[in-house]
Order: sequence, then structure tokens, then C-alpha cells
Amino acid sequence: MIKLLKIEFKKIRTYKVFWILAGLYFVFLAAGILLAEFMINHTVNNINQRMPIPFPHVAIYYFPDVWQNVAFFASIRYVLIFPAIIMIILITNEFTYKTIRQNVINGMSKTEFLVSKLMIILLTALIITVILTAGAFFIGLSHSGFNEVDFFTKGIPFMTGFFLSLLCYMIYAFFCGFILRNTGMAIAIFTLYSLIIEPVIYFFFRAPFMFKNTIYTYLPVNSVIRLTEYPAIPMLKKMMGLNLQDNVSFIACLIPLAYASVMTAIVFWVMKRKDL
Amino acid sequence: METILNVEKISKSFGRIKAVNQLSFEVMKGQVFGILGPNGSGKTTTLSMLLDLIPPDNGQFSWFQQLPSKESRKRIGSVIESPNFFPYLDAVTNLKIVADIKDKPYDDIDEVLQLAGLYERRFSKFKTFSFGMRQRLAVASALLGKPEVLILDEPTNGLDPQGIAQIREIIALVASRGTTILLASHLLDEVQKICSYVVVLRKGIMLFSGNVKEVLAVSDSVELSASDMPGLTAAIREFPGFISFNEAEGLIQVHFSMTVNTSEINAFLYQKGILLSHLAEKKRSLEQHFLELLQDTP
Repeated sequence: MIKLLKIEFKKIRTYKVFWILAGLYFVFLAAGILLAEFMINHTVNNINQRMPIPFPHVAIYYFPDVWQNVAFFASIRYVLIFPAIIMIILITNEFTYKTIRQNVINGMSKTEFLVSKLMIILLTALIITVILTAGAFFIGLSHSGFNEVDFFTKGIPFMTGFFLSLLCYMIYAFFCGFILRNTGMAIAIFTLYSLIIEPVIYFFFRAPFMFKNTIYTYLPVNSVIRLTEYPAIPMLKKMMGLNLQDNVSFIACLIPLAYASVMTAIVFWVMKRKDL
Repeated sequence: METILNVEKISKSFGRIKAVNQLSFEVMKGQVFGILGPNGSGKTTTLSMLLDLIPPDNGQFSWFQQLPSKESRKRIGSVIESPNFFPYLDAVTNLKIVADIKDKPYDDIDEVLQLAGLYERRFSKFKTFSFGMRQRLAVASALLGKPEVLILDEPTNGLDPQGIAQIREIIALVASRGTTILLASHLLDEVQKICSYVVVLRKGIMLFSGNVKEVLAVSDSVELSASDMPGLTAAIREFPGFISFNEAEGLIQVHFSMTVNTSEINAFLYQKGILLSHLAEKKRSLEQHFLELLQDTP
């Protein structure tokens, strides 16, 4: 196991594309989270100029809401797609450069090859989740201080939910890259599906009432994003008693996990039978 | 002698095309074994099956008298078709990955790089390498960890004469250390120069197998003439290795099953009381021989 991780680490340690994309992802993520509050309040200010009774300022990074909101921004499909694309590149490179072939020739079993890739996905999901958790903790701390009693109440479910979202979404990407074997095509199809096809399906199948489940609920990418579907906006709660989402549903976690498990099983099945 | 590889009736089809058909052979320890055949004769498919890249439809094989496994592949160094490395990693990192997979230490990375003449470029990225250097790095990686068997698929394909010479030098050196070598090539000349045993393939079917000297012996013909032509034709039949002769324009062209020495023929006929007026060797080109070899069988 450690040996397989060592090999994978050698493959990416001096791979510029990997580090540039990873860097871009964190810049995007941090900028999104840090600017969100500012931009929301900027909009509120603009609206207030035309309103007789001004809206109060929106504060979204207080404990315990900070966990849900950070998870929400990190689960937006435009952000989540970065690590997925990195995984597509890492797997399709092995086909492009025929190194998967060479690894097997040199004495790696086909199972070991897949396990090493899945371990990289698991490790990446863990590292990103830990960084995001630390980031959310410090943002929360800087907004609300230590005196909050419930500073971690939402932390565990939402960070675990984000971890599962990221893990499953990267496994989808891995599946797509493994089946298509071609970097450009895999990225194009994966991006097209995630960012365009599913939103279009949503347009046609959206529920008349927003909380009702439709086909769309069960689509792979939406089921990933839906784990943290809504941000926590205390103002809405206070003013209208509207609480969009307060926890990560266990049942909702099972859908992407089921997709990811089936895809992983297919990958192992195909690997065993197909010529390299 | 110890059997390194035993192949029993392996077959593989791609759609309707039978790429390899009921192929069997055996490789012994220390042999330099050639698989000779034109392009598309099933050489690479055979090697791919032996390295678990392609599952065979039928038949079986064993490495080191055991069922093939990743452990047996760790004892084999291989260059199959093109050199496969990460272009964005340097030579040393690429070789370290190979060593990790094979459970071998990094100790002989420098040595194999020196052998391949790439030591000065060891920290250059693979993508900056020329075609010949890439091929040499592939051979270097195959030699990593002192494998018991070296598998080479068209190792000199596309190289310039200097590159070919370098690769052959390395092969000769490795063979002299007692490493078993399995070499696939479409070049008769290459197999003849390097190998001691050979199987000849055509369209996935084995045509011949055996000692290179016997299978690929260029059965030269000799032109002879004497004043006593009937005596000559009678006497030459008794010469060892005689196959046939044809008569034309006052001389006979005699075929032998092996290479013959013209002075031996002369001495032999002299003893029989026949004085030659003409004696000439007729050599066929190797390519011509190879083509004949492939055409001979239906």
C-alpha cells in the first residue's frame, strides 16, 4: 500500500500541470469563500439604496453556519470540477503515455494499478477536506470568537458530506477517464455533462415545488452537489422562518456512494478483461 | 537445462483475424531465443500475452515453471514496442518508478544509465530525449535490477546504424552474463547475428523452430564443372548434405542442406578422381532466403 502511494507520488511530484491546477483550485476556492460575504453585502447595499426599510447585513460565517456555507461554496459544480479534471488527467496520462502497460509489464498487477489510483483519490479528498475544515474553522473563529458553544455542531456532518461529495465526484471523473482513455475527450464529456447536460435536464424536470424529489434528484452529479444543496442564511430563518437545509441527509449520501461503487466495480471488471 | 518459459498452444484472435494460432515453444535458461516473422505475424501479440497485457483465448504458459503472476514479471525486463515513460519526468525518476514496481533497490540505476550512454542526461526530462535515446532508456529500464530474462520486441526498429550497433552491443553484453533473452524481430539478419534458437512465425502460425544455424542456414549452392560431367554428377551425390542439382550450360548447380566449404568439395571430388574445371560459390541474400522461408510452406 505504502509502496503504491510512493510510486504515485513520484508520478506527480514534478508534474507541473498537476500543481498548477491544484494551485488554481485553492485560489478559486479561497477567493469564492472569502468574497462571497462581501459580494452578498455589496448587493444588499445596492438594493437598500432603493428600499425604504433597509435589509440587515448578511453574516454567513458565524459559528455554526460557517460549516454549512463553506461546504456549500466548495460544492458548487464550477469549483468541484477542478479536482475532478486533475483526476481525469492523472488516469488518461497513463493511457496516453502507455505507462499503464509498462507498469503491468514491470510487475504491477492490474488490481494494484487501480488501487493506487483510488488511494490517490481518497488521499486527495482527505487533504482537501482537512484544508477546508481548517479554513472554515479560522474563518468562523475570526467572525465569532471562542465564546460560541455550538461552534462544531454543524462541522462534522457538513465536512463529512463535503468529503463524500468530493470523493464520489472524483471517482466519477476517474471512471470517465478510464473508460474514454483520451484526455481531451474525457475532460470535454465530463465537463459538458456536469455543467450543461444535467442543468438542462433540471430545466425540464424541475419540481413544481422545490423540495419535491424528481428524476433530477437522482442524477449522479446533482446527487453529489445536493449533499450541501443550500447555504445557511440566518436572515431568512429569522425573518421568514424558512430553513432550507440544516443537516446532511444520510439517505442523500447513499446515492452518490452507490454511483461511485458501481463505477468502481465496472472499472475493475473492464480492467480485468480488456487488452492493455 | 532449466526451463525458463514454456508456451503451450496459445491462441489469440482479434475479431476474425487469428493473430496467434496454437503456438508452442520452450525457452531454456541462458538461451538467446528469437521470434522471427514479418510485420503482423503475431510477434508482439505473443509477447503481450506472455506479459499478461492480453489474456490468451486458449492455451497456457508458465514462467520459471510456475503459473504467470506479477512476481514472475518482476524477474523479467521488457521492451515492448515503443519506450513508455512519463515525458514530464526525468530519466532517473522514471527508472525509480520501475525499480519501485519491481521491488528492486535504486543501486543499479546509475549503472544501467551508464551502460545505455545516458548518464550525463539522467536529470533531463524524457520528452527532451531523441528517438535513439528513448530506445536506450527503455533497454536501460529493462536491465534494472538484473532481470533473469530480457524480452526485446524490435529493439532496433527505426534506429540509425549507430543506434542499432549500440543496442546490439548492449544485448551481446547482457547475453554474455548468462541472461536469457527473448528477442522478436522481423530482421533475419538481426536474429541470425544475436540468437541461438528461433521460432519463425507467419500469420500467427509457427513455421519452424530450432537451432538458428539449422533453421536459418543459408543453404548455398555451388556451381561445378568438369570434363567428366557424368562422373561429377555421380560423385557429388555422395557429398554430405547434398540435396539436388540442376544442369545448365555445361555446368551443374548443386544445393546443399548446410553451408559447405568449397575446398572440401574440391578435395572430395579429387579423391574420387574428378578434376574440376569450374568451382564457384553462389550466395543468396539473407532477405531472399527469408522470403523463400516464408513462401516455402503453403
